[in-house]
Amino acid sequence: MWLGILLLIWGYHRLLSQIDDSYESSRLQKSRRAAFALAIFLLWASLDWPLGPLGASYLASVHMVQFLAVGIAAPALLLLALPTAAYEPLRRRPRLTKVLSDLTHPIAAFFIFNIVMTATHWPGVVDLLMPTQLGSFALDAAWMLGGLIFWWPLIVPVPERPGFHSLGKIAYLALNAFLIRPPFAMMIFSESPIYAIYELAPPPARDALNDQQLAGAVMKIGTAWIMFAGVLVVFRNWMLLESDRPESA
Amino acid sequence: MSYRSKWLLTLRSFGYASVLLGSASSCGLPADGSSLGELRGTVMEVPIAMPDLVLTDTEGGLYDLRAETDGYLSLVFFGYTNCPDVCPVHMATLAGVFDELAPEVRDAMKVIFVSTDPERDTPERLREWLGAYHPSFLGLRGEVETINSALAEMKLPGIAVVPGRHGSDTIIGHPSAVLAFGPDGLARVRYLFGVRRADWVNDLPLLLGESP
Repeated sequence: MWLGILLLIWGYHRLLSQIDDSYESSRLQKSRRAAFALAIFLLWASLDWPLGPLGASYLASVHMVQFLAVGIAAPALLLLALPTAAYEPLRRRPRLTKVLSDLTHPIAAFFIFNIVMTATHWPGVVDLLMPTQLGSFALDAAWMLGGLIFWWPLIVPVPERPGFHSLGKIAYLALNAFLIRPPFAMMIFSESPIYAIYELAPPPARDALNDQQLAGAVMKIGTAWIMFAGVLVVFRNWMLLESDRPESA
Repeated sequence: MSYRSKWLLTLRSFGYASVLLGSASSCGLPADGSSLGELRGTVMEVPIAMPDLVLTDTEGGLYDLRAETDGYLSLVFFGYTNCPDVCPVHMATLAGVFDELAPEVRDAMKVIFVSTDPERDTPERLREWLGAYHPSFLGLRGEVETINSALAEMKLPGIAVVPGRHGSDTIIGHPSAVLAFGPDGLARVRYLFGVRRADWVNDLPLLLGESP
């Protein structure tokens, strides 16, 4: 985990040293660095002690906090942390742009994100992967990848999507906020604990079912709040764009 | 296939069928034995009789295990309250199961926790610890030698005391399975560590001869 975080920090600084982001205001530059710092903090705090072991072996609710951090918040912050110029080299690689264009098309991204989120919370998958370090890492990696794909069409300017209007972005986020995914329904409505790894974990959990229902609530409410924050940002940017636009005679 | 092989196969099939039928009839399960395959616990080939023990409950009264459990489905577990893993998991799982069971099933059952660490498991400690899981769970204490001989009688591993190192607590080795004694005082099914709430909810009514 530490190695991955150090690699991210090293990569970010190396990238910033290689590109000229002076065209961006100093305020924006500071915001980007703050976004990166927050992403790193979220990754570190959610994967290291105490949340790391608690979420990996003891409490489904903590596991869900990790999901919010690693699979939803951190990917958005990491994409926001990069200056626009950092994405420009992608335009010079048409094949990659084509792949990205298909993969991060809002409809594709919507399905990929939701399939990844559903699969990585499916009881059989969680019980199979979570007990091993490699399996646990695979889940984290899938969350991160799914999150990057989800946020890409909203944040990254390459490939350009002139048809993906602000209203569409708001709908994209709102749909993900309100969508009821199968694992959430299972966590909330199941009469028995669905994850063996958390049911058979020693204390601190006294009641695995309560913990599971809390996990479902964390998943639903946490995701909705992050999506809602995204809606506010998209709406604000939309208003700013409209106010900057010269009024037609 | 030779005649001899066919014969052996027939004999074997007959043997397996006999074992299955025998287990079913001795299980106290529905008379047609149809529920045997639905049990998720481990069915034992040789039933274990409830040990003939008189222990002390958490109120200080004597508790005759055989007499007090007669006519009940009794889940008996040997463990200790300082246990870091198996005991709290079993108790938490059973507490959840109790909330899910029909009242008539719950009323026909007893959960009995026999301490394998009577020195640290004082009556107060036992009562408080079990009460945190479910108020109906019963805690019993006795001399280590008495418990050990009962475990040996039931062909279960005895108590093993592993002194703590570098200031850590003493660890007590104990059987990790919960034994399900039927109303007739015989245990035919045991539940190893790893049994889940859904398994209990499925099996307990079957062990009482009811539908889950």
